Amino acid sequence: MDSILEIRHLEKSFGDHAVLRDISFSVKKGDVICIIGSSGSGKSTLLRCVNFLEEPTGGEILYHGKNAEKEWKRTLYNSKVGMVFQSFNLFGNHNVLENCVLGQMQVLKVKRVEAEERALTYLKRVGMDAYRAARPAQLSGGQKQRVAIARALCMEPEVLLFDEPTSALDPEMVGEVLYVMQDLASAGMTMLIVTHEMSFARDVASRVLFMDGGVIVEDAPPQQLFSHPEQPRTQEFLKRVLARQL
Amino acid sequence: MNVPTSFFGWVSFLLDRYGQLFLQGTGVTLLVALSGTVLGFVIGLLVAIVRTIPLPKGPWYRQLPLRVVYFLLNVYIEVFRGTPMIVQSMVIYYGSMMIGLIKRGTPVLPAAIFIVSINTGAYMAEIIRGGIISVDKGQKEAATAIGMTHWQAMTHVVLPQAVRNIMPSIGNEFVVNIKDSSVLNVISLSELYFTGKSAAGNYGRYFESFFIIACIYLVLTFTVTRILRLVERKMDGSKNYTIYGSQSDSHSSITISEEEA
Ligand SMILES: Nc1ncnc2c1ncn2[C@@H]1O[C@H](COP(=O)(O)OP(=O)(O)O)[C@@H](O)[C@H]1O
Ligand SMILES: [Mg+2]
Repeated sequence: MDSILEIRHLEKSFGDHAVLRDISFSVKKGDVICIIGSSGSGKSTLLRCVNFLEEPTGGEILYHGKNAEKEWKRTLYNSKVGMVFQSFNLFGNHNVLENCVLGQMQVLKVKRVEAEERALTYLKRVGMDAYRAARPAQLSGGQKQRVAIARALCMEPEVLLFDEPTSALDPEMVGEVLYVMQDLASAGMTMLIVTHEMSFARDVASRVLFMDGGVIVEDAPPQQLFSHPEQPRTQEFLKRVLARQL
Repeated sequence: MNVPTSFFGWVSFLLDRYGQLFLQGTGVTLLVALSGTVLGFVIGLLVAIVRTIPLPKGPWYRQLPLRVVYFLLNVYIEVFRGTPMIVQSMVIYYGSMMIGLIKRGTPVLPAAIFIVSINTGAYMAEIIRGGIISVDKGQKEAATAIGMTHWQAMTHVVLPQAVRNIMPSIGNEFVVNIKDSSVLNVISLSELYFTGKSAAGNYGRYFESFFIIACIYLVLTFTVTRILRLVERKMDGSKNYTIYGSQSDSHSSITISEEEA
């Protein structure tokens, strides 16, 4: 089957500091790819390069076989590759419903009535439709993140990128967000998830990428990567992390 | 005619004689200050939007046009913030007369509004830049990440919040303009200070005349400050919100009201 996204020899440096080196992998429809690795290994930078919040300094990204940078209109590409941030980044001047409506009307040119209908559908999906009139500042972290997910879904993206969506949450709110993500995964949503939640990665991912020092060290299905990691660096990382979790 | 002998006698005499003139002066001062602030705000917004366009990546010649524009905008800001408005008035007014843009004897009001606007715009550009920085940049990224353009992200997400954050500074600019439009008397604009000077000169009663003028300025600035406070309140919106539906009854709703901070 054809890939939705194909990352080829992606490089990114900030000045002399090479943060990503020769990153290659592909994302097929329905893939749930979890990216793990210690802090500073380049996971966020990788996601940010995939939707061009950072400009890659080398390599290319193909979206449906065409160069995402040169052959796709940037705003169209961005609307098809959604992103959920660690810090939610809801629009502070708009209420929950409007957060979900704005992009549809501005980018997809959907009419308001239709946009609101779609917004309510997705807010319901994440269990936040009752809060449609609330402002972001009035919500808890978990609620904000669920609204952020609904906002991304409203663009009807083909791929969703998640950058540590639960890392900024109080422990009791992590579950509600992971639950929504799990629900999306079982509905066939294609996702690329940077996470420290190893049990989530083990249960939900179709593939796990382990990153270290700006390279993908290992790329394998979760059973294999968690039970029989091949690379010494992966073994060492898992030993450290799994001692604390699972 | 009875010549007043006391301070209050002179004040009421001048008010009686020049009340109409002072009122007109007040009108001109308000008009110039208000339109100067509003137009200056628009100029500041446009400058700030342009100055926050990210540089395109690629070879230097693709960045050149934007870099030139950045440079010119910086020159504009530096020049107008770095020279007194009274000097700007003279240079602009007599300069435009010299190159034939305006003729001797044409109304000075448009020129006055232009001068205050362009001067305010330079300050506003910096104030608005500060406001933009005050909005967490994650929101701009989130807007970009769902496909919004720089213009859409700025106008629908960043600027509304930036403007709310800088409302006190915008109000301050308005108050400054009410007071500083007095320098436009050097190009013979009949604003409040100018009318005070005329009235004072006729009878040589400078103290009484400018006492009246000072009171009018104070009433203006005080009123404007209060009104802007109200506008800020309004912009913050309701502290209440409604939660719709419940497990048992989907048409129910409750309204949560937060305590006033
Ligand atoms: N805008 C930036 N400028 C300079 N260095 C950066 C920037 N963003 C990230 N880095 C560097 O890139 C490296 C990887 O960062 P990041 O992608 O955030 O890692 P991770 O998400 O895996 O913790 C770090 O060393 C970080 O300091
Ligand atoms: Mg990170």
